[in-house]
Amino acid sequence: MAESTAKPGAVPAEADRRDFLRILAMAGGAVGVASVIWPLVDALNPDAAGAAQAQPIVTVSDIPENSAKTVYWANMPILIRRLTDKQIADAEVVAMTDLPDPAEISSRVAPGNGHFVVVVGLNTGTPCELEGNSPSGPRGNYEGWVCPCDGSQYDVLGRVRSGPAKRNLAIPRFTFINKAQIQLG
Amino acid sequence: MEAKQGWLASRVPGLGCVCGLMKEGRAPGVCWIAALPALLGALLAVLLASGAVITVYYNPWHAYASLQGITREVRGGWLVLSYHQVGASLAFALLYLHLFRILLVRGYRAPAEFAWMLWVKLLALLLLTGWLGFVLNGGEGGYSSLFNTSNAATTLSGFPGAVAMWFLGGQPGGSTLARLLVFHVLLALCAVWVILMARAAARKARPMLQGRVVPFWPVYAAQYFAALSALALLFALLLGFAPHWGQGTQNAIPAAAMAVPSISYPWYLTPLAGLAGVFPSVTGHIWAVVAAVALLYALPWLDRSKGAPPGRVYKLLTWLLALDVLALGLFTACPIGPMLPELLTFWFFFHFLVLTPLVTMMEAA
Repeated sequence: MAESTAKPGAVPAEADRRDFLRILAMAGGAVGVASVIWPLVDALNPDAAGAAQAQPIVTVSDIPENSAKTVYWANMPILIRRLTDKQIADAEVVAMTDLPDPAEISSRVAPGNGHFVVVVGLNTGTPCELEGNSPSGPRGNYEGWVCPCDGSQYDVLGRVRSGPAKRNLAIPRFTFINKAQIQLG
Repeated sequence: MEAKQGWLASRVPGLGCVCGLMKEGRAPGVCWIAALPALLGALLAVLLASGAVITVYYNPWHAYASLQGITREVRGGWLVLSYHQVGASLAFALLYLHLFRILLVRGYRAPAEFAWMLWVKLLALLLLTGWLGFVLNGGEGGYSSLFNTSNAATTLSGFPGAVAMWFLGGQPGGSTLARLLVFHVLLALCAVWVILMARAAARKARPMLQGRVVPFWPVYAAQYFAALSALALLFALLLGFAPHWGQGTQNAIPAAAMAVPSISYPWYLTPLAGLAGVFPSVTGHIWAVVAAVALLYALPWLDRSKGAPPGRVYKLLTWLLALDVLALGLFTACPIGPMLPELLTFWFFFHFLVLTPLVTMMEAA
């Protein structure tokens, strides 16, 4: 800052004006440079097509009881199954000691929407797409899914029950946005 | 701050020279146009940054469609593409202006001849990079130009033919633009290196200062900032109101192999394209371009003045040459007469091969 010998309230000295102009010029320059760089940085965000595919909304209310549907997300098949009341009651009484990869029913379904199971439909043993969405198709001994490649069997909650596979089916990131729709991602 | 700079400069080679720039003295009254190389460097930085962003989304196998995608789907993608286009336009404008200024004041003579040769190298690199950029658009104009060039390359024999084949990888096909993208990036990086070298060489060739010296900071730094602001204003005007200025419309339609090849180049390539087009056969075009750049390169030896200051006739001829090159570009883009490009091309070679040695010798005598 310039030394000021002027009395308070006097006309600003020449140097004060210069300080102001310098700050003004620097601020203007900073704004200019930032506004040039902003689009370059912003352009590296996911593009519109990528953003649209990242978090798809899936309607689940049209799935009949005791069957499942497949949607593809992040290049993986996602299986969404609607359970019957009997299947839920049966799953609750399965002893944890019978399971190769023990998991409670509360860890396999979303709280408040216990009728829907959402899992990644890839066998955890030999990587293969699972079968068993339809009640009339092959489902194995546990009413769930079965792997056509290595014969691993899963129950209705996607827990592994037999076969080479040792781990339960993975659960993707999803949220219920209402009673009828989920959003993946 | 000073201590930090000293600590870094003693450990990083070359940094001391960068920091020292600010303390460097200049002769009083240096013209604003001395800021041109610095502005060119700033434009290259903009081109590199925008080019890096474009490369993220650009797909050489579907070039035209991917540019459409960048325009429509990438956030601010249309703006980044315009940065690249306007940046290229202005970089060529500044380089042409800088070369003209060196010609006018005979700044190409010893001890600055090495710096001049580097500036000519920069011109050659930017011309090639600019042409590659034009081709990478995946539009009709770029495809036709690539098609013609590949045809010319197949007629070349021996070593030049082998180099051309290596560069283009045969007839234009799916992978051609992928390899040209690599060359576009590599040559652009080379251009950055050459501009740094050229500036270092020009600094070295500057005469030792006698008498009063003006420090670079803050006197000339302020001048450079003012020049940068003027450039930024011009950049913003072009970006906002005429992002496609001088680019031709032909690249706005996708490449089609069945279309009749007729090419409208971007403005910065038209003088050279006009000069090449005068010569018969595609092989002739290539050699004409090589000869034109080689002549600029050889200028320190074509000048016979031996240190005498530029005279009136030389200056007049240099202005005429600038008009000649401008006219060559203009009349190539919008042809009006049958013999005009031939005449202008003749004058270009006549200027360097006959007039320059003759006039400089007479003025030195």
